Amino acid sequence: MLSYALIGGIMYGLYFGLVGMGLNLIFGVMRMINLAHGDFIMLGAFLTYWLYYLFGFNPLIVIPISIVVFLVFGFLMYYVFVPKLLHSKDPEMLSFILFFGVSQVIEAIIILFFGNNQISVPSTIFAKLFNVSTFTLFGNTFPISWLVVSVACIVAFVLIYVYFFYTKLGYATRAIMANRHEALVSGIDVNKVSAIAFGVGIAAASLAGVMGFFMIGAAFPSMGTDLTTISFTIIVLGALGNPLGTVIGGLIYGVAIMLMQTYFSSWTNVLPYLLLIFVILIKPEGLLGKAVRNV
Amino acid sequence: MSVLLNVTDLESGYGLVKVLVGVNLKIESGKSVVLLGVNGAGKTTLLKTIVGLIKATKGKIEFDSDDITKLKPNKRIEKGISYMSELAIFPNLTIEENLELGGYFKDKGENKKRMELMFNYFPDLRKFKNKMAGSLSGGQRKMLGVAKAFMSNPKIVIMDEPSSGLSPKFVKKVIEVVKSFHDEYKTTMFIAEQNVSFLDIAEEVYVLDMGKITFEGSVTDLKSNERLREAYFGVA
Repeated sequence: MLSYALIGGIMYGLYFGLVGMGLNLIFGVMRMINLAHGDFIMLGAFLTYWLYYLFGFNPLIVIPISIVVFLVFGFLMYYVFVPKLLHSKDPEMLSFILFFGVSQVIEAIIILFFGNNQISVPSTIFAKLFNVSTFTLFGNTFPISWLVVSVACIVAFVLIYVYFFYTKLGYATRAIMANRHEALVSGIDVNKVSAIAFGVGIAAASLAGVMGFFMIGAAFPSMGTDLTTISFTIIVLGALGNPLGTVIGGLIYGVAIMLMQTYFSSWTNVLPYLLLIFVILIKPEGLLGKAVRNV
Repeated sequence: MSVLLNVTDLESGYGLVKVLVGVNLKIESGKSVVLLGVNGAGKTTLLKTIVGLIKATKGKIEFDSDDITKLKPNKRIEKGISYMSELAIFPNLTIEENLELGGYFKDKGENKKRMELMFNYFPDLRKFKNKMAGSLSGGQRKMLGVAKAFMSNPKIVIMDEPSSGLSPKFVKKVIEVVKSFHDEYKTTMFIAEQNVSFLDIAEEVYVLDMGKITFEGSVTDLKSNERLREAYFGVA
């Protein structure tokens, strides 16, 4: 039972690393908390649902579509909101209010067009595609969809790692994370690089939405709020402002959730909030990270 | 000699607080100019306004005969201005990555050649090139800052207090390096300092006081001004 919880927890953790990734990337670059983060996960799920039912697209085909759509959307959204926010006296506080508004608008629009219903795609979709429904690891049997999601998450993390550490754009993004003004006078087009990072953050969130059906079940318009809270817990657990620390935060969260579900299932829903309070009180910069800002 | 940087009636500040009041200065191409001023005189504000980090509320900044007053900072850097702030480096990037960002808008081949040149000047940086810049000592960080400032082969290097936080030994080293770059590549230098440490390489001196230029001339002229001699050299 313990080995099932641990292995399953790692797979869950990889997924939750992806859930938190976009929020941390945007926080790292802009020092803004995107309270609409969970809503973009929800939008990714809705896009997957509609492309599946309208055109029969497998979620694996939706991945690149979702990345392109939300990358462009995030890029444009940056130019609409962020430069104006950055010129205000208190960008961090205003960003809270603004993105809370964006979150409410997204949720309301989805309810308006699609109703306040739960949606889902068949959980056997990958089993049919690969002609195998389960796989066994150390004597434990897991659904094949967990493996597909885990591999997709690892590929996403590797791509983000390459973007960060092996491209000029990545150096520039990390430079902005360290010091926006210094980046400006290094000749970096800070707005353009930030807009791309914003787009990548939103695209990562949407990707978590595409994969969400197979890890957290059905999607519904108001799921964003809970997902933003979970994402916030994960990034605080890992390292606030360090996107790759999110993977560690996700893994800790995933294993903790699985252990709770296995041994104290009725307490599982309290876990994110308990972890959040615990880490903020004991080590507010995250379990692994250095402090990236003075609160 | 042609004028490279021409600042006319410049005013700027922070919100309602006006820091610079009608600043005028002309820096000729290839010259080494030092801007002296005590803490709070407005040196950093002037440099930040020239590179575009602070908006000018009045006046004009011309660089290489182009009006750059309204240009974005990255566009000014592309025109050939390099700015070394007091912080100067990105601690979360490696030395190599920092240098690469110094020549951000240049092509890869040119950057590679230029980095090699920097490593020849600063062998310590080559040794630690894959280390995070944040792990360097204060003196080494300053060296990296200087190397980063020269990476793009700029027409002018603007430095904000390059001697701050350094031991006299390191200040001497920074001066030597700056002098050799200036001599060899004829790079125009504009160095803001609150002490006289860089006057040895100054061909012209400006003194900024309460947001106004109160003196302009050679080091000899500065030394012959009783008030300034007392203020900056400590002798009446």
